[in-house]
Amino acid sequence: MLRHLLKLTWKRKSRNLMLSLEILLAFAIVFGIAAFALRSWQLYREPMGFDGKDGWSVTIVTGDSKADSIPADIYDTLRRGLLALPQVREVGFAAYPVYTNSNWHTTFKSPQTGAAVQTLFLEASDGVAAALGMPIARGRWFTAEDEGAAVQPVVFDRRMAAAMFPGQDALGRQFTQTEDGLTRTLKVVGIVDTFRNKHPLMVPGNFVMTRFAPHAGPSRVRTIVLKLAPGTPRAFEATLNRQLRLIRNDWSYTIAPLAAMRASQMKEQLIPLSVLSVIAAFMLTMVAFGLFGVLWQNTTRRIPEIGLRRAIGARAGDIYRQIIAEQLLLSSAAIALALVLLVQLPLTGALGSFLGWRLFIEAAGVSTAVIYLLSLLCSLYPGWRASRLTPAQALHHE
Amino acid sequence: MLRNYLLTAWKVFMRRKLFTAINLACIVLTLVVLMVISALLETAFYPSGVEGKSERFLQVYGIRSESADRSSMRTTLMGYKAIDQYLKPMKGVERVSAITVPSEVSAYQGDRVSQLQLRRVDADYWKILDFELLAGRLPNEDDERNGRLVAVINASTARQLFSTAPRHPAAAVGRTVSVGGQAFQVIGVVADALHVNAFADMWAPLSTFPSTNYQNEITGSFAALILAHDRADLPRIQREVERIATTFVTEDPRTYSKTVFFADSKLDVFARALLDNQSNADSGAGTLLTMIGTGMLVFMLLPALNLVNLNTGRILERSSEIGVRKAFGATNLQLATQLVVENVLLCLAGGLAGLACTRLVLWWLEASQLIPYLEVHINPAVFGFGMLLAFVFGLLSGLIPAWKMSRLDPVHALKGTA
Repeated sequence: MLRHLLKLTWKRKSRNLMLSLEILLAFAIVFGIAAFALRSWQLYREPMGFDGKDGWSVTIVTGDSKADSIPADIYDTLRRGLLALPQVREVGFAAYPVYTNSNWHTTFKSPQTGAAVQTLFLEASDGVAAALGMPIARGRWFTAEDEGAAVQPVVFDRRMAAAMFPGQDALGRQFTQTEDGLTRTLKVVGIVDTFRNKHPLMVPGNFVMTRFAPHAGPSRVRTIVLKLAPGTPRAFEATLNRQLRLIRNDWSYTIAPLAAMRASQMKEQLIPLSVLSVIAAFMLTMVAFGLFGVLWQNTTRRIPEIGLRRAIGARAGDIYRQIIAEQLLLSSAAIALALVLLVQLPLTGALGSFLGWRLFIEAAGVSTAVIYLLSLLCSLYPGWRASRLTPAQALHHE
Repeated sequence: MLRNYLLTAWKVFMRRKLFTAINLACIVLTLVVLMVISALLETAFYPSGVEGKSERFLQVYGIRSESADRSSMRTTLMGYKAIDQYLKPMKGVERVSAITVPSEVSAYQGDRVSQLQLRRVDADYWKILDFELLAGRLPNEDDERNGRLVAVINASTARQLFSTAPRHPAAAVGRTVSVGGQAFQVIGVVADALHVNAFADMWAPLSTFPSTNYQNEITGSFAALILAHDRADLPRIQREVERIATTFVTEDPRTYSKTVFFADSKLDVFARALLDNQSNADSGAGTLLTMIGTGMLVFMLLPALNLVNLNTGRILERSSEIGVRKAFGATNLQLATQLVVENVLLCLAGGLAGLACTRLVLWWLEASQLIPYLEVHINPAVFGFGMLLAFVFGLLSGLIPAWKMSRLDPVHALKGTA
């Protein structure tokens, strides 16, 4: 039976060529969207490295580009002033807020392999881990005891630890970094599992946190991270703003709860996916129309053939099955060809970590299901129509 | 001859109403997507309304400084000082305005907190852009000089802050709103506007900055608008700005020895930002348009293939008609032309229907507020482009079926066994 169907399909190859090309293209589009969506879902389920529960973020707008105009003791004043509010539980200072697209890059030289390791880094004060709710997997976070120490403490994420000290335990190791002719010694005091600062769909990468110490260096940060009492209403923002202006009234402050920042980042990240999905939905609708039309025409042209088959004993169900099976066969051929082309992507690693084998198989599964479903739906009615004809009608059809 | 084609086309379309409907639906769907995109792009690149003078003004968004060996570079927005010292003294232009890009601020009203986009602008801004004033007045040089805490808000913000009735925004004039610890008095309400330079919820004079620090900044959060007397002056102004950039001295001339900035048209601004062309005089506008055009053609590929399949089916149905015409001496070219003409006609009809649907989709987009303050008009340019798209689409999808049709053998065609 299958051989017979294959022969029938092959006999009409020139017509079927265009049809399978169309199915192939549709498959590729569905595959692209499915891979994108599944990858996003995969990333979304990975841990962020902090929970940000009841967290708020304050950005100080100084209106001045020079760091040396900010006094070093303002951070203590700010911390004390903020902790004086009963709703404020923890206060930390960081170079940039989480749930924004800011990032800082730097390069460290691995003392073990000598290779340069690129990493994202964040300068953060002692209070940041508690304010953001960051679990420290091993070791510890920065404390006041690090103040004035000869070696500067750093916290690595697991990827960075593996990149700097492959095969060895990074905790407690020291290394040096030379920047602008100055050499400083750093020591790994803690390791976190991961840290993804931008948004839940961020691709995890190397991450290093260095200790912010205003009295020891020229660096000045402009972001305050707060942890508030659970259930603090949004209207607390006005109180917070008033308190901050009591401390420095020539600065202005941009205040936002982390939950709101996370929501707006997610919305922004999902825009491309939703636009693509809408366009893909349009395309699939079109493909469905087209397939339906072509199948209808095909069955109409083949009515005499169908009549002949009915006359020599084929049942209505047989015809029905034949029409649907032929269409599924054609779709299978197109899908197989598309998969041969698409499998080059993970094989050559053209998309790097974006498209791994697991994602490829999942996306291929989803898109195969979608295309089969589409083919099935489009061939149901034409098949039913063809199978309903009585042999006499069909043979006389002109 | 054409009349004959039209008649035949009509007869064929009406004979198989379902297929004509499916064909039309495919065409309309494709063209609606393409026309919505082109209408949005047209509004962004060649705006009318509030930024209607766009063809007469240029904007400077961004300033790039790099060291001699290009080891360190930075791209930021300009500071007020840079605009004041280098751009404002420029000769032969009507106005130069310094504006900040919108920044998110919180407005406090009792227990309520609203997030607003605040833009600080000088008095010239209001003369370069044509805002539609709904109530009150716009800030002038006097407000600027005296540092009055006044603000203009748009209609949506008036509704949000003061719950004014949609038709009576005047109720917001004279009210005060506390933003970042400053109490602003609302002096005017303007209509909502989206465009690059116009977008904001609230506008305040530059002199309302809490401190005058901004006046000493070389880099900051400012952009400049340069209004020319005549659009023919624009190339000269662009050259002049490029020349001024070579005389620019940063606050740290040892690290950043070379600075560039460019006066850009709307299209250039988008191209520069999207293609990251901050250091070349050429913004890459040509590349951007080519990319958009190619993208549209690629998008058309699948729908065109779809239409090819549908049309191929249709010509086989018409094989006896084709056989007769061939037997009476019609050339392959004539037959192919006929089919292409039919297909293009169908596509143009689809284009017209698509245009109507595009209008509906755009209305829905505007009402849904997916893009805040969006207002898109379908003007003759968009209409023309839509019809061009329909024509290209018709050609693209008509050629293969036409070639197949012309190759039919008349004997087989006449028998209907092709």
